[in-house]
Amino acid sequence: MKKVLFVLLVISIAVSLLGAQKLVINSYMSDPAPKRVFAELVEQFKADHPDIEVTVNTFAHEDFKTLLRTWLNSSSAPDVVTWFAGERMRYFASKGLLEPIDDIFKDGFEAYFPGAFKSASTYGDHIYFVPQSWYWWGVYYRKSIFEKLGLTIPVNWYQFLNTCEKLKEAGYIPITIGTKYLWTAAGWFDYLDMRVNGLEYHLKLTNGEIEYTDKGVKKVFEYWQQLVDAGYFINNHTSYSWQDAANYLFTGDAAMYLMGQFIKDVAPESVKDDLDFFRFPVINGEIGLYEDTPIDGFMIPAKAQNKEAAKIFLEFIASKEAQEYFASNLGRLAANKDVPAPDAHAQKGLEMILASDGVMQFYDRDTNPEMATAGMNGFVEFMVYPGRINFILNNLEIERLRIFK
Amino acid sequence: MKSKKWVPYAFLALPLLMYSIWVIFPILQTLYLSFTNWDGVSPELSFIGWDNFKLLFQDPYFRISLWNNIKWLIGFAGISVPLGLLIAMLLDQKFKGSKIYKTLMYLPMTLSFVVIGQIWSWILEPRCGALNSFLGIFGLKSVGWLSDPNIVTYSLIMAASWRQISYAMVLYLAGLKQVPKELVEAAWVDGANWWKRFIYIILPMLRPATVVAVTVSVIDSLRAFDIVYVLTRGGPFYSSSVMANYMYIMAFNNYRMGYGSAIATIQFLITLGFIVFYMRNVLKKEEAL
Repeated sequence: MKKVLFVLLVISIAVSLLGAQKLVINSYMSDPAPKRVFAELVEQFKADHPDIEVTVNTFAHEDFKTLLRTWLNSSSAPDVVTWFAGERMRYFASKGLLEPIDDIFKDGFEAYFPGAFKSASTYGDHIYFVPQSWYWWGVYYRKSIFEKLGLTIPVNWYQFLNTCEKLKEAGYIPITIGTKYLWTAAGWFDYLDMRVNGLEYHLKLTNGEIEYTDKGVKKVFEYWQQLVDAGYFINNHTSYSWQDAANYLFTGDAAMYLMGQFIKDVAPESVKDDLDFFRFPVINGEIGLYEDTPIDGFMIPAKAQNKEAAKIFLEFIASKEAQEYFASNLGRLAANKDVPAPDAHAQKGLEMILASDGVMQFYDRDTNPEMATAGMNGFVEFMVYPGRINFILNNLEIERLRIFK
Repeated sequence: MKSKKWVPYAFLALPLLMYSIWVIFPILQTLYLSFTNWDGVSPELSFIGWDNFKLLFQDPYFRISLWNNIKWLIGFAGISVPLGLLIAMLLDQKFKGSKIYKTLMYLPMTLSFVVIGQIWSWILEPRCGALNSFLGIFGLKSVGWLSDPNIVTYSLIMAASWRQISYAMVLYLAGLKQVPKELVEAAWVDGANWWKRFIYIILPMLRPATVVAVTVSVIDSLRAFDIVYVLTRGGPFYSSSVMANYMYIMAFNNYRMGYGSAIATIQFLITLGFIVFYMRNVLKKEEAL
């Protein structure tokens, strides 16, 4: 009798496990705050859908970028993955590795998200990407240091140089940056290029249509060189990750950091309120105000095991409630246009973007991934050896011709 | 009596099969991929012959990586093995606390290279790391161990050697136990000084340990990856890159699996060449003995 009961128990467990749908989500949100909030969001989803068994696998952010390629090709690909909009997404979509998700948006993409996000989520005629949140980039600074030295927010390049000089004289590190993983340097390139040459130029450059040896590009580096030669950047930045460099901002050794809003994710509580940002200084008054607004979100691999459950999850993610929860807990801006800015800080960022004339995603999301690696290595090499600029640009040009042929 | 010649082969069959599947086949597959332009992502690829290799020899970053591997070969193997021997000889004598020292010296071997990399990234941190703070006590300037492109490879070799020295030491401690004390004493009685005893008796008797220590160190220096990847990713801008690191970035970051396979092939051939050359020499000498 006991044996029969035991067998029945095993069978019923097996059946219930088989009956439950499985949903596997791979996420790169390895920083503690977003990881926690996303876990809470998944709990909400599970409460609404008790028949779906959800597993969230979190990977270190930098490693995720390398692992994604393997998952998309594997026959047991995860059902949902976090990723970036723009070229980074299109690269995989163009190889047929992503599942089109037009049917999630019953009233169309624009019913949920701003029209400006559509192109970054689309490849060809189909939508492959659900935006979740976006953030702006700005020059983050310590209010207390500026107050102490009586500094005003610089609006143009001359004022910015002056501010850096005053900070340096007072013994602070004017600008901190961590270039170990390269992309922080790309932030400087993006902004200098958008301020010096404008959006159209930057778009063409990232599309591989402009030579890296072009006069316009050289001009960008001339401005950059003013900062490098004056020693305004922190020393040894090539050995710091962006978080290591941010520590110097938090301890008050450094005053400014060109960074995305997510710097607040890692700021200690005591410092959070002392952090504020200003728009990257204007260089040419005749060129419009353009900013980087990277969009983060989710997509479904074409080889996913459970596409129905994945699409249900993405519908949940696109909803106003889910977007509001995530954004308000992290101070980010939800992609869903019905969600208001969560706090004063985010409101300021939103207003800055609304007052801008155009946006890009970010260098390594706007251009071909291979070009991005070569470009970013070049930027970091320039920051260490500014004298090599011609050599660096020539090499980048060779790479561009090879990659975009 | 039936000849049982097939028995050894029967025993070898299973391990050989596993070796073929897990080692030989992937090697052959990589060799094949190095003649294609596969990006590691698409389902299609096309055969491009020697193009990858032609590109490789013009690639300045590959040349830097190769040159760094040579630095690793000389520095890593050249420092760890003699220092390991020296420490083993020192610790082989009986003195108070020798057991404690042996245990302490053995500890680095218990750590994985990734952990060692993490520890050393803190030690080498420019502003408040242990090493620069130590230099600061003597009034010396801070050094950019991992940020100065000219010294970064040497910093990495230093971090890796820290662990390899304990590895060589363990090998030599075991080897020294095998050296017959009577031979050494006989030489001492005959009036040989310390240096002569070392060169003519101890060192030759340590040959098996030396073979292993050098072979392993050579292979490890040619395939160095963990320390480089964890500490610098091959940066700043490839100045500390080694072949394995460059291959990883090309294959997995830049979606150029074919090109990465070509790098892996070159690395394989170089390592194979070294080992074959070394083993042949050593085996010849042993036969002569």
